[in-house]
Amino acid sequence: MEELLSVRGLERRYGERTALRGLDLRLSRGEVLGLLGPNGAGKTTCLQILSGNLSPTAGEVRVCGLDLRRRPRQAKRHLGYLPEHPPLYPEMRVDEYLAYCARLRRIAGPRIGQALEQVKTRCGLAEVGARLVGRLSKGYRQRVGIAQAIIHKPDLVILDEPTEGLDPVQIREVRDLVRTLAASGGVIFSSHILPEVQAMCTRVLILRDGRVLHEAHLVQQPNVHSPGRYRVRLSHAPPLTRLTETPGVASAEALTDNAFRVTLRPGEPADALARRLVEQGLGLIELTPDRDDLEQVFFDILSGEQAA
Amino acid sequence: MISTIARRELRAIFVSPLAWGLLAANAVILAWIFLRVLERFSGLEAAQRTAGLTIELSLTLFSFAAVLAMLSVPLLTMRMLSGELRDDTFNLLGAAPVSLTEILLGKFLGVAGAIAVMGLLPLVLALSLSQAVHLDWGLLAAATVGVWLCGLVFGAVGLFASSLSAQPALTAVTAYGMLVLLSVVNRGEITGSQAVSLFDWLSWNEHLLWFLFGVVRASDLLYFLLFIGFFLALAHRRLTNRRLG
Repeated sequence: MEELLSVRGLERRYGERTALRGLDLRLSRGEVLGLLGPNGAGKTTCLQILSGNLSPTAGEVRVCGLDLRRRPRQAKRHLGYLPEHPPLYPEMRVDEYLAYCARLRRIAGPRIGQALEQVKTRCGLAEVGARLVGRLSKGYRQRVGIAQAIIHKPDLVILDEPTEGLDPVQIREVRDLVRTLAASGGVIFSSHILPEVQAMCTRVLILRDGRVLHEAHLVQQPNVHSPGRYRVRLSHAPPLTRLTETPGVASAEALTDNAFRVTLRPGEPADALARRLVEQGLGLIELTPDRDDLEQVFFDILSGEQAA
Repeated sequence: MISTIARRELRAIFVSPLAWGLLAANAVILAWIFLRVLERFSGLEAAQRTAGLTIELSLTLFSFAAVLAMLSVPLLTMRMLSGELRDDTFNLLGAAPVSLTEILLGKFLGVAGAIAVMGLLPLVLALSLSQAVHLDWGLLAAATVGVWLCGLVFGAVGLFASSLSAQPALTAVTAYGMLVLLSVVNRGEITGSQAVSLFDWLSWNEHLLWFLFGVVRASDLLYFLLFIGFFLALAHRRLTNRRLG
């Protein structure tokens, strides 16, 4: 697959504070890469560097094979960037603003009208072209922000928290838009909303303190259940050995004082486990499939990191 | 690309009521001064007149227009960079295939357009006399160019000040500070002829004076171009440093 973005050894220091420590990442055409991490993890700094708004202290960024530091103008032609706060001029009308952005992105004069119409249709802005940007609702502003980032049909689209402040309907629209963008290029975006990343990304990097803690390929089916694995919560928690000795149980591990992860033998049904737990008088409160969701991975990794 | 940015800046300036307010205030003040000059000049006997009407207008009306430009231009430039830094709109320019030099020149040309309109006000007032008296239009054209060049220096200083902070009001105050310094630098009680000539050279009003007398000297043009280039280069340095952190 064609590589759109290649980042090697990215470092960024603000005086004494280090925001990024040796970050490496790659993005190919068709991928949606999510940067996930708590506030202050270095997500926005990373995206600002990738967009050319910040210079890295060390490291190299290549966009479509072009070095962003040495050939910034050529490299920036291939990228579109939506910052955390959409860069809008409230005194301009939507059409004027988008036409200005198109000229900034060096779209030839005769093609600006067509680009404008296409991007407005794509972002649901056809009705508001004549309105002042400053009078738009937050949702529309965010859409205009996305429109300016994709008006020149860039290969690489960088979105910093694109769904921040949107209502559920708008969030779904942005998700659909991101998927269509990935069909023709690559998308990299940051978020601290876990289901968001899970719904949109093909791959996720979990950042903390400027380092990549974990990289995962996501299946586009959220909440994939690992067969035979369950979480149980018991009011009269027994010793762990009593659970492992329960018929049908292959293994068990304690998660908290009264919560356990239980793996059943192949072919063993969950209702049999429930019946046995009840028969033993362990006070079954909860029995749920153990999901391999991102939230679990995220917290497992962060808690593991804190413990270390 | 420079013209794209310049057009947006010019539009942003004239969309805000501030520019129209400044233009109106300048027009009213200059019209009042214009009438005062006419009244005083017409009240004098021919023998009492030490200079012609053209020189009177040039030294009074046009020089005051330069002072008004010094007070107005920092208010026009204060948001040009600091407003963009404050509202994060600079990210749009930073991610576009545009160099910092193009951004700065675009913004500078934008404010230069507004300064050109402002600089024409005294000439427009003088033109109202064109049917009644004979004026030296060459001299007034030179004076207009002088006022305009002064305005451009103020614009470059304002743009540099605007790159220093994300608080527009603070950058306007900073620009005033620098411009007042450049205005009074030759007025200090400094002894020693060499020092005085250096400070005279640094002060913009010394160079404007020649234009007001209708003398366009290469050295004065060089002074204005040098100062415009110097402050734009400082603004460029500042934006580069900001990107480097």
